[in-house]
Amino acid sequence: MDLLLQFLTNTGYYLADYRNLIMIVIGCLFLYLAIAKEYEPLLLLPIGFGVIVGNIPFFKGFGLGIYENNSVLHYLYFGVTTGLYPSIVFLGLGAMTDFTSLLERPKLMLLGAAAQMGIYFTLLSGLALGFLPKEAASVAIIGGADGPTSIFLTAKLAPHLIGPVAIAAYSYMALIPIIQPPIMRLLTSRKERLIKMPEPKRTVTRKELLCFPVIGIILCCFLAPASIPLLGTFFFGNMMKVSGVVDRLAKTAASSIIDIATIFLGLTVGASTQGDVFLTPKSVMIFCLGAVAFSIATASGILFAKFMNLFMKEKINPLLGAAGVSAVPGSAREVHLVGQHEDPTNFLLMHAMACNSSGVIGSAICAGILWSFNVG
Amino acid sequence: MNGFEAISYYNGWAQAVAGALIVMTGLSLLALIVSQLYKIVEFSENLGKNKDSARVKKKEDDLPADTVPDLLKVDINGLGELSRPYADKLGDSFQLRELYDIFQKNSLPHPHLTIRSLREAGKIVPLGDGMFCWNR
Repeated sequence: MDLLLQFLTNTGYYLADYRNLIMIVIGCLFLYLAIAKEYEPLLLLPIGFGVIVGNIPFFKGFGLGIYENNSVLHYLYFGVTTGLYPSIVFLGLGAMTDFTSLLERPKLMLLGAAAQMGIYFTLLSGLALGFLPKEAASVAIIGGADGPTSIFLTAKLAPHLIGPVAIAAYSYMALIPIIQPPIMRLLTSRKERLIKMPEPKRTVTRKELLCFPVIGIILCCFLAPASIPLLGTFFFGNMMKVSGVVDRLAKTAASSIIDIATIFLGLTVGASTQGDVFLTPKSVMIFCLGAVAFSIATASGILFAKFMNLFMKEKINPLLGAAGVSAVPGSAREVHLVGQHEDPTNFLLMHAMACNSSGVIGSAICAGILWSFNVG
Repeated sequence: MNGFEAISYYNGWAQAVAGALIVMTGLSLLALIVSQLYKIVEFSENLGKNKDSARVKKKEDDLPADTVPDLLKVDINGLGELSRPYADKLGDSFQLRELYDIFQKNSLPHPHLTIRSLREAGKIVPLGDGMFCWNR
């Protein structure tokens, strides 16, 4: 009888409290969004399931939880806390990215830079709301709309905020179809949305594609050496892809390796969002700031495109500014769809992909800059 | 500490302005280099082509006159009849490089000298942009 009682008091049913249940409901919501709505399923499904796994109550001290040494989840979480998984994800991203559209339209790179202003605005907002500088920087990087970058920087600066920052970043990336279009319509006129982008005047050669990763890494990493873990692997992956001599390696990086990293990243980030850590006023503020960051990033890209049009003979469609965030290819797709809604013959996708690719580089540089500002 | 006081205390304004300027400068520089990259690549390719044609010219100039086969000196029409079917395979216009390759593949003797002789005899004429055609 005592044995049975001891067993029952060690079950999750006995140990559960309302915070575990709330988080499990949130995990189920993520699963629903991933499976039924197909909102970024590659991210939301592992995270959602991880949230459920991480919030199953257990008796502490048995080496079961993600924050307990020698637990399986803790070992897997190592890749998050050290920034290993984000670097591997960037390796795969580089191996999947085609920079042809960016090299054909280099001036669109400026829109990727402009969209990063959301990060700095959120940095100021975070400081104003009482976050410490390292915490504010970790929350601000959500404005880059890049999940691995957000996790990477937060793991370095404010590891206790990885859960809410990652959940906020990935949630807003999944909600891009809801967040971005109203901002795009609000900040642009119909006439501006109808602007057709000219086709590139020349074809990008293979030599240019080969030179770009080398130039990119030298320029960007000399400027912000702290972004080496992200941009180093990113440009390496791209070099493998365009070289054409290591197809096997490039295919592996773009498939198996990034998939493995995504699985463990999502699962462990989800599992780290335990109710007692996650359900705090700070997490709510992080969610609110994340929405602000995303919105300001979208708006600043659009406004900068309008600013560029003041000086340019060939106008840029300002919608492309919204694709300057790093959420590839979601925001490029949304820009294209909003453009198509106004004029079905207006094909903005490849132009938007140029801004998107630039946004990935821009957000990684910003992560490096914020890390170097807040190191120590 | 909250509000503007917190921002000033933690150097937030300087971080925001400096960070924004750094990322804008970095990506602007990258955009500038990328926009000029094709010119640098074209320049290096032209440099390589000039070196190749200078090397080929030097080799042909180095050949003593008495090594030129009699066929090339005497029967340019025969040479043209021998070479034309291969040129026709390349279409209405072709690059000299392509003609050289097809001559070499089909084991025609002295493909460089053959092409030079055909050009000098007006059998192959330039069309511009590096393209040539058979003079019908």
